Amino acid sequence: MASSASTLVIGSSSGIGFSIAQRLRTRGDSIIELPSTLDLTNAEAVGESLRSLVGSGSVDRVVLAAIDPSAFRSAPIVSLTESEWDQAAEYPMRSAFVALQQAHGVLADGGRVILILPTVAATGVAGLVPLCTAVETIRVMAKAVARRWGARSITVNTIEVELAAFMLGDSDAGDTEVTMVPVLGQPALPPASAVDDVIGLIDMLASPAAGAITGALLVADRGTVMQP
Amino acid sequence: MSSLPGLMEGRVVLVTGAAAGVGRGVAAAFGSAGAIVGIGVRRPEAAEETAAAVAATGGTPVILRCDVTDAVQSADAIEQLVRDFGRLDAVVHNAVSGRSSEATDFENTTLDEWEDHASVTVRATWRLAVQAYPHLQKSQGAYLLMSSPAGIEGSERAPFYSAVKAAQRGFVRALAREWGPDHIRVNSVAPLAISPALENMKILEPERVKRIEGLVPLGRLGDPETDIGPPSVFLCSDEARYVTGQTLVVSGGRFTSL
Repeated sequence: MASSASTLVIGSSSGIGFSIAQRLRTRGDSIIELPSTLDLTNAEAVGESLRSLVGSGSVDRVVLAAIDPSAFRSAPIVSLTESEWDQAAEYPMRSAFVALQQAHGVLADGGRVILILPTVAATGVAGLVPLCTAVETIRVMAKAVARRWGARSITVNTIEVELAAFMLGDSDAGDTEVTMVPVLGQPALPPASAVDDVIGLIDMLASPAAGAITGALLVADRGTVMQP
Repeated sequence: MSSLPGLMEGRVVLVTGAAAGVGRGVAAAFGSAGAIVGIGVRRPEAAEETAAAVAATGGTPVILRCDVTDAVQSADAIEQLVRDFGRLDAVVHNAVSGRSSEATDFENTTLDEWEDHASVTVRATWRLAVQAYPHLQKSQGAYLLMSSPAGIEGSERAPFYSAVKAAQRGFVRALAREWGPDHIRVNSVAPLAISPALENMKILEPERVKRIEGLVPLGRLGDPETDIGPPSVFLCSDEARYVTGQTLVVSGGRFTSL
């Protein structure tokens, strides 16, 4: 069901972020997107872009699904140069910080922040040490800001999906070079659209009924990784 | 003094950030287990007390200049241990940013402050792993990261500190899988312990420290050498040969849901 609330989708140029923005737009939600060429680690540019998009208003929801695709390349850590490590591990961390910081400036009181991340960090994946490192960092950064922004009744929660769903969203793998991730388990539930799953959870987290949920992690992987 | 006689006899360990606090306590605990302990510090003159503590417990201290943000210094520290003692059995990365106990104004700070934390706790975690890898592969050794409960539950006051400590936890899980076939174990310890900052607080704000202690079921903050040191030594020893990819929360019961 369409929402009259405004949603800022960060990371809408590819993967699950693209699919989420598309679905929300199609059903009539008010969507705000940053230019795909924007460097998310440039706080000044991100802030300026947001202010020009939002004007004197504010946004009700922020969906953050931005991880640099270089982080999906599988490689042993001993083979990485410092620059490759930085791009795959630390750039996503810096991007998440700047995105959250700048989004905070345009977020309405009572707003909802929802981060979308791949499930890799819960179990760890050989060959994807930088990505796992970045994801765990962002997960806990989300908890920290959930604590900080609670006084404004802003909630901050994380939804995790399987890596392939995060990378591809609704699109077919097609020519995309999908990292071969070792299968860590089989889903308990029959296959379905991860984007549908995530949209349902975004709506739930954005609803008044979820006003008391913050700092939480919801894993929408159809029962593949059941955490202890 | 902790009692770990012989657990690391003749083994060679590098402990970063070992000039004070948890690093010093862990170094001393490795000493009591019979290890040759590389005391990695930015300023060698600040390592004398740690060296004395290691020697007092029966270990062999080796002071090493090792600012972990300097790739050359960390490589040299590792190479010196291997050159002088023929092996490297464990690396314990404990160093943190000098700003780690400061509050972070997340909404108004800049990436410069992030860099202070990330360079020591994230980048150096990766770099030390890469530099130590061939030696740990040879010894089938262990890589231990000193993380923090803040890196699991997230800190309102220290969002950057908690985020970079979380980074280490994600790193541990993934690298344990990657290095498992090499029989190198990768773990972390999340301690609640008396630090130099808390020692200061004890003098300046004794009531605040009492309040913190009141939250710990065991009624006190951990001692770096006798409470945090032994579990750290255990995780690097053969006794933990089947333990990898884990974070051990050593907090006197303060954190039970992590």
